[in-house]
Amino acid sequence: MGAFGIDDILARHVGQEQSLIEILHDIQLRFRHLPQETLAEVAGHCGVPLSRVYSVATFYTAFSFTKKGDTVCRICMGTACHVKGAQLIREEAEKVLGIGAGRTTSDGKYSLEVVNCVGACAMAPVVIVNEAYHGKFKPVELKKLLGRGE
Amino acid sequence: MIRLTIDGRRVESRNGEYLLTLARRAGIEIPTLCHHEAVEPAGACRLCMVEITRPQWNGWSKLVTACLYPAEEGLIVKTSTERVLRTRREVLELLLARSPRAEAVRRLAAQYGILEPKYAVDQEGDNCILCDICTRVCATHVTGAISRVNRGVAKKVATPFDEASDVCVGCMACARSCPTDAIAFSQDGATRAIWGKTFEVVPCTVCGAPTVTREQARWMAQRKGVAEEDFYVCDVCKVAKTGLSCRKVMW
Amino acid sequence: MKQTLATLPVLRAKLKEERSKLRCIMVCCGTGCRARGGMQVADAIRDELSAAGLAGSVPVELTRTGCHGWCEQGPIVTFEPEGVFYTQVKPEKAKEIVASFQSGEPVSKLLFRDTKTKRSIVTYHEIPFYSKQTRWAMRNVGRISPTEIGQYIARDGYKALEKVLSGMTPEDVISEVEKAGLRGRGGGGFDAGRKWRSCRKAKGDVKYLICNGDEGDPGAFMDRSIMEADPHGVLEGMIIAAYAIGAREGFIYVRQEYPLAVEHLGMAIASARENGLLGENILGTGFSFDIRIARGGGAFVCGESSALMRSIEGKPGEPRAKYVHATDRGLFDRPTVLNNVETFINVPLILDRGAAWFAALGTDGSKGTKAFSVVGKVNHNGLIEVPMGMSLKELIFDVAGGIPKGRTFKAVQTGGPSGGCLPEALLDLPVDFDSLTEAGSMMGSGGLIVMDDRNCMVDVARYFIHFLVEESCGKCVPCRDGLKQLLEILARITKGQGREDDLDKIDSLCFVLTEGSLCALGKSAANPVLSTVRHFREEYEQHIKDHFCRAGVCRDLCRYEITDACTGCTLCAKACPVECIAGDRKQVHVIDQSKCTRCGSCFDVCNFGAVEVRSAR
Ligand SMILES: Cc1cc2nc3c(=O)[nH]c(=O)nc-3n(C[C@H](O)[C@H](O)[C@H](O)COP(=O)(O)O)c2cc1C
Ligand code: SF4
Ligand code: SF4
Ligand code: FES
Ligand code: FES
Ligand code: FES
Repeated sequence: MGAFGIDDILARHVGQEQSLIEILHDIQLRFRHLPQETLAEVAGHCGVPLSRVYSVATFYTAFSFTKKGDTVCRICMGTACHVKGAQLIREEAEKVLGIGAGRTTSDGKYSLEVVNCVGACAMAPVVIVNEAYHGKFKPVELKKLLGRGE
Repeated sequence: MIRLTIDGRRVESRNGEYLLTLARRAGIEIPTLCHHEAVEPAGACRLCMVEITRPQWNGWSKLVTACLYPAEEGLIVKTSTERVLRTRREVLELLLARSPRAEAVRRLAAQYGILEPKYAVDQEGDNCILCDICTRVCATHVTGAISRVNRGVAKKVATPFDEASDVCVGCMACARSCPTDAIAFSQDGATRAIWGKTFEVVPCTVCGAPTVTREQARWMAQRKGVAEEDFYVCDVCKVAKTGLSCRKVMW
Repeated sequence: MKQTLATLPVLRAKLKEERSKLRCIMVCCGTGCRARGGMQVADAIRDELSAAGLAGSVPVELTRTGCHGWCEQGPIVTFEPEGVFYTQVKPEKAKEIVASFQSGEPVSKLLFRDTKTKRSIVTYHEIPFYSKQTRWAMRNVGRISPTEIGQYIARDGYKALEKVLSGMTPEDVISEVEKAGLRGRGGGGFDAGRKWRSCRKAKGDVKYLICNGDEGDPGAFMDRSIMEADPHGVLEGMIIAAYAIGAREGFIYVRQEYPLAVEHLGMAIASARENGLLGENILGTGFSFDIRIARGGGAFVCGESSALMRSIEGKPGEPRAKYVHATDRGLFDRPTVLNNVETFINVPLILDRGAAWFAALGTDGSKGTKAFSVVGKVNHNGLIEVPMGMSLKELIFDVAGGIPKGRTFKAVQTGGPSGGCLPEALLDLPVDFDSLTEAGSMMGSGGLIVMDDRNCMVDVARYFIHFLVEESCGKCVPCRDGLKQLLEILARITKGQGREDDLDKIDSLCFVLTEGSLCALGKSAANPVLSTVRHFREEYEQHIKDHFCRAGVCRDLCRYEITDACTGCTLCAKACPVECIAGDRKQVHVIDQSKCTRCGSCFDVCNFGAVEVRSAR
């Protein structure tokens, strides 16, 4: 049986194409990415070619093949946040972490992501660190928030 | 029987075929790039746009893709109104900017009077216009070795992880059906390479001419429940022997 | 326990009776308030309540509610039935809050202060942000615990379902919804009853019902609030719709960015099943229907109906041509009805109160109320539900409190990436489906992003096109390659590299997008550009010809200068992130242009209007 520790995930979902996205969500949640080796097993379980799984995995932004950092900093770039200066926060984050959006620092500690609205628009601009939301955010607060203050 | 008109000509359809089929049958030319007889239509290239209306629409009309729109009773179809032509030209402009070297695109563009693209040309742009014919052909008739990956502008056709695919049988159905010759392959004597994988093309057991790859023969044999060796006879020799074409087996 | 048509009314009467005697402290624990410590506030109040030993004659309850739609004031604490309203509550205030709950004396520091009258207001009934609203779709939002089915039932929940299953035929239900004139709240404004009727008529015994909770419009969050705060309302609407069209299976497609909504919906589904309101043999009537949640994968295009259905099928979310309607061949090629969250939550109201009651709200063509997410440069960012037809001006200036910091209104963006920007001259426009479409925008899901003179219209157009470039599925040529070209041109203009013929090219690209695209994402993608070109053409020309961005947004096209009006208050120097403003206290300050990043922080903090935006040249 599977050598990648996803047997229990597969067991939870019926083996059909319809389950594909839910299975990938569960794998992404467990490993913080989709380990390449798991996809063939998922394809077998759902009865679709591997290329189909790959097609789905690359279409949806919820999935990634590289492992996310221990701390994931997400910057909302939704319209409400944009008109309130989200771009400046993004630039500051890129400067502070030294990586572009969508990347993870080489030490694996931080990932920087941009999202399009998390539904907290009334407190725009919004930054989310792991699961914690921070509203009415100012770029200067970022260093402290990420524990990267000089 | 469904009756409608295309460019003023009366046409009939028994089972709601697509407008494109009817137009072509009536000898009316509509350009297409993502249409392929062997697969379901996709509506991706948007070249086959036609304008449809009905008397009771009071002059209102809309553009639809002929490759996907089923015949309907009383429909009035026009294939070359100014609205259709402008849309088509603009689509060709975009394609030309994307794949400036693709022969099929250049030819069509020229037909519509576009010699120089007006938009910024993607100098790195390859010939793939993402018509998705190859992926549909492979998924429908072969093993589904390739698929569309990524989303939006980053979309491309590839094998999983851009690695040599376990299931590609090297049949070349994708490359042969590509309208813009965008799929790279090489064939050197008995060796064929496509999608990063190298295949041995087995010589005909009768005359020695190249037949199919071992993987393709194995795959077809399994699917049809016949012997692998049956496929190692080239078309010419097979016709000579049985009067049947081996091509038929595959398509 | 599984309820039946006979037991449910008894249970409701009992719950009503019990709850009418209760006094409640309600703490908002929606996504926004949680972010600012709502859960900790609730815990602190809980501890304080038990310490105070409030066991007296009147039963007291602490309720954790879902999002009220006014997260900027969060965490929010209210007392019911009095309606006392506390804003920006910290856990340390628990003691004072409990004391005030006992004594009836409000904690003045936690009260909402009206920015115009400078008056503190005790109850939400008197706060214009609430008092000018008509909350029907959001009737339970912030008023109940979303995880307690009993609280929903006590507020007349599942009463409409009870009525429907007690003798109405599916045909009766559809006629009632048709008579009410309910139009879909997800964007297109399609007649819901008509959609249900076509699906009911479609051949086939397997039919599906889907609730669209993808809420992709960035800046809109009414569906999140409703799903988080009143999940049973959505379920009840869906069960009634399923009965009407003859579906046994349904899905709620929720975007994965809304974890709390997924959690609350999941709990609601489970408790509805336990209570015999969902699953086999609903309320003992023999009617069966069940609902599953499908999580989205972070793709805006999956809000589009055919893409959404592909996504539920486990495929990439690529739309299909709609030459065959989903009501004939939708999910798994079966007849399917898809409606938005807010559409469904209106359904129990219509069945309970009657079509005539509903149709009396709103305008001729757009019945009922609509929830708007009014955000951006307004004093009160939040969800505002009003009868259709209220003017934009009333919404923005009266209910949402107008533009902050004395700046001037410039535009309001409605309808998200498919909509457009409307200028001041159109502020008297009534907000309903048809008026907004005529003005070149769209109602969309109800996002209203307000912009002031510090927002650049070319930049806003570029922003939306950038958004769409990233979110286009990439299947068809006009959308995939047309948007890419459009972005290239707009980006150039915002960098001062605009060319004379750019506006013509923009025009051609908008044409091919609108005429040639496969789905509504591409077909409507030109709206943000067309509407800004139409209403703010001189701003484009200023960017292209004069290389000047008057809003001070496009950094290559502006610089900041401090004028003689400077009083030397030093605020700007403190605000500058790169410390390039020099000047002694009470002296006119100076910006070192070589270091300035043109972030505009100085402009925004100056109270004397001494910082000016000038052309970069
Ligand atoms: C690109 C695109 C995105 C959409 N996103 C949403 C969405 O997030 N939520 C929604 O309810 N409808 C969305 N819609 C509209 C839906 O396609 C569909 O019309 C709607 O859900 C039907 O429900 P209604 O009739 O109740 O409004 C979107 C449409 C398009 C073209
Ligand atoms: S060569 Fe490979 S990828 Fe191409 S159609 Fe054949 S099996 Fe598919
Ligand atoms: S490679 Fe050819 S057939 Fe395949 S999508 Fe591209 S253009 Fe179409
Ligand atoms: S736009 Fe940022 S939370 Fe909605
Ligand atoms: S041939 Fe019809 S869209 Fe390409
Ligand atoms: S989360 Fe509390 S008001 Fe929105």
